Amino acid sequence: MQQDGVQQDGVLAGLAEVLTDVAGVDPAAVTPDARLADDLGIDSLTLVDVVVAAEDRFGVVIPDDDWARFVTVGDAVAHLERAMRLPR
Amino acid sequence: MAGSELRVAIVGAGIGGLSLGIALRERGLRADVFEQAPALTEIGAAIALSANATREYARLGLVDELDVAATIPTELIYRDWRTGDRVAAHPVAKDDSYVRRFGAPYYGIHRADLQKTLSTAFGVQNLHLGCRLVNLVEQRDGVVLEFANGRAEHADLVVGADGVRSTVRRWITGADDAIYSGTSAFRGIVPTDNLPSLPDPHAIQFWMGPDAHLLHYAIGGAGESENFFAVVETPRIWPHEGSVADVPEDVPVASFRGWHPAVTEMIRAAASPIRWGLFAVRPLLRWYRGRVVVLGDAAHGMLPHHGQGANTSIEDAFALAALLADAVADDLEPVLARFQHLRRARTRRIQRSSWVTNSLLHLGAGPAVAARDAKVARFPDDFGWIHSYDVQQALAAGTVQA
Repeated sequence: MQQDGVQQDGVLAGLAEVLTDVAGVDPAAVTPDARLADDLGIDSLTLVDVVVAAEDRFGVVIPDDDWARFVTVGDAVAHLERAMRLPR
Repeated sequence: MAGSELRVAIVGAGIGGLSLGIALRERGLRADVFEQAPALTEIGAAIALSANATREYARLGLVDELDVAATIPTELIYRDWRTGDRVAAHPVAKDDSYVRRFGAPYYGIHRADLQKTLSTAFGVQNLHLGCRLVNLVEQRDGVVLEFANGRAEHADLVVGADGVRSTVRRWITGADDAIYSGTSAFRGIVPTDNLPSLPDPHAIQFWMGPDAHLLHYAIGGAGESENFFAVVETPRIWPHEGSVADVPEDVPVASFRGWHPAVTEMIRAAASPIRWGLFAVRPLLRWYRGRVVVLGDAAHGMLPHHGQGANTSIEDAFALAALLADAVADDLEPVLARFQHLRRARTRRIQRSSWVTNSLLHLGAGPAVAARDAKVARFPDDFGWIHSYDVQQALAAGTVQA
């Protein structure tokens, strides 16, 4: 599962950049366990901007019903990974 | 200026398409609008224009004309479906509250009046009726639009403003991305005088009840007519080809059995046994392909619960026109990428918010009602970001503005 590990680091790092660019989050705070709302202070409107920027960066659409359920950074990473593995 | 030679073809003479045509012309660009209908006839329906759109029309000096045909609501009122009790109320025309807060007016207006203002401003010379797009053919230096009547036109850029079931979008994404929402609506326009049970006829009002709501507001220069939109959570699956279907005469009123007389009276008075399926467009990753781009409902068709379908189309149109003002015909990609980036985030927020609002409006009784009531009492604070948006400021900031 070496491949997945590498990809996961890539997605996490990419998402950290998105969170920093769009929401001014300290990149060091972006860990898989960090909660988007409670720990990183992302409100629901800012989350939409994060989602749209992440979609642009990773080239996949995150359906609204899916991102509305994200609690942690890890939830978003796992979703992006899955979506990127699907044939487009 | 190289940009002045850009040839833009707009598909669809709805509110988004005509607004783009006017906005491009104002910036010295040539635009042609191609409409499939043989004449500009608007269906009997109205829309509410909010500050995020009217501030753009104001910049073009169109507001005086709209003002004559429109009604400014006195208040925004939320009511209980059965008792008619006020759940929450927010001033609009009162004390000029809305304009003072958002910097431009809020109008209830008949679509035909808006379309007339826009088409008169655009003129007939570059408006081509009876042109139904059947194909787009990419060439090295542009795109050829092929129409059902045999006509073919060459353009540097094609803008699809052709609605929620857009032909142009299908060309871009290769799929039909319209999705039925599981909700449908009855609508109509009724003389205000025929509605004796209606309290505050010149307010914009939501009547909220179990699995349904009714929204209405006055239109016409003196508020002489009432436009309503009554939404129900049926049918689960939309079985019809088009987005409109005939229903037996008693169905609209029967769908609101037990509601306040003001509601049933309005629906009965309209005598319009037609059901409108409410469709949205699933969020798209790409709004353009090559030299072909979509805007408005074609790009981000949404549920109407924030009254923002037309308003976001107008935002799109003015944003795209501003970005195209400095564009060169052989380097459009950066412009379209910027347009997509800016507008995708803005409209996605509203799309999502409209979806969530649907269930908020459809509560009858139970513990969720108290939370709902608190929410609608905060509505201007929670949703002011929709109305305060300024397209030109967002462009100047170069980032996504709230």
